[in-house]
Amino acid sequence: MPDKVMRYEDVNIGDALGPEEMYLSKDQVRAYAKAMGMWVARFTNDEEARKEGLPGMITPGNMSLAILSKLVTDWIGTGAARMTRLGTTYRQPVIPDHTIALHGFVTHKNDEERTVEMDVWIESEDAERLVIGTATVQFPK
Amino acid sequence: MAVNYDPAIIGRVFETTDPVPVDAATIATFAATIGDTNPLHVDPEVARQGPYGGLTAPPSFAVTFRNGRHFFEHVPRFGKQGFDAGKDVEFVAPIRPGDAITLSSHVKEIYEKTGRSGSMVFVVIRSTLTNQNGAVVAHVDHRFMNRT
Repeated sequence: MPDKVMRYEDVNIGDALGPEEMYLSKDQVRAYAKAMGMWVARFTNDEEARKEGLPGMITPGNMSLAILSKLVTDWIGTGAARMTRLGTTYRQPVIPDHTIALHGFVTHKNDEERTVEMDVWIESEDAERLVIGTATVQFPK
Repeated sequence: MAVNYDPAIIGRVFETTDPVPVDAATIATFAATIGDTNPLHVDPEVARQGPYGGLTAPPSFAVTFRNGRHFFEHVPRFGKQGFDAGKDVEFVAPIRPGDAITLSSHVKEIYEKTGRSGSMVFVVIRSTLTNQNGAVVAHVDHRFMNRT
């Protein structure tokens, strides 16, 4: 993560977060599932996941949320600004062993509250938005 | 379609978990699995000089706490299938090593929506995370979608 501190004054509506490409491997998803006590077939085993009607093993929704959360916190850096809200919608399964792209942009600034709103999403190689969300960042007053 | 349920379930806490201790090693493991190298979460020296005076968990650590054993028994179901449609998380305060986190869950709301693929019922369960001092650290709203 680049060493930086985002300042409220430097944020403009339309500013981009990312895009950041990330190869999400099955091993990384399995490592997450194992560490988080989510070792179930749909997150760890292609064949078993297919029996559940899925295209293969999928990424846990919480992991997708955590990846989008990191896009926002990397943008904030190491300063005192804090993400206070993140809402996500899981539109389509995130299939590992593919490259995903993390996107976002600033949609709103509230000068009085010193908050910034943003849209964030995970995109597939086919430019499909698999997980979409919105986040709020509170800057120090 | 009318959505039938007992309105008394709204807002009533149906389950509270035992406290789950948080340590720096668990936070570091979580950060590693998502490739988070922010020193505020993994480097005690840098974190000590930072805005919180010590290590904090990445905000999304709030969604890693497991629901109680009887959680899903209390999620009202409508129609054929239930899907995890998403989550809305309010991060109230940082979670730190040394915290012990308790989850209390209740049905927040139930609503119906009609989309291109037909009628859907959304059930929102709110889990409130509280630390050992009784301070709320996060609200996690689980949005479940049922196709009717």
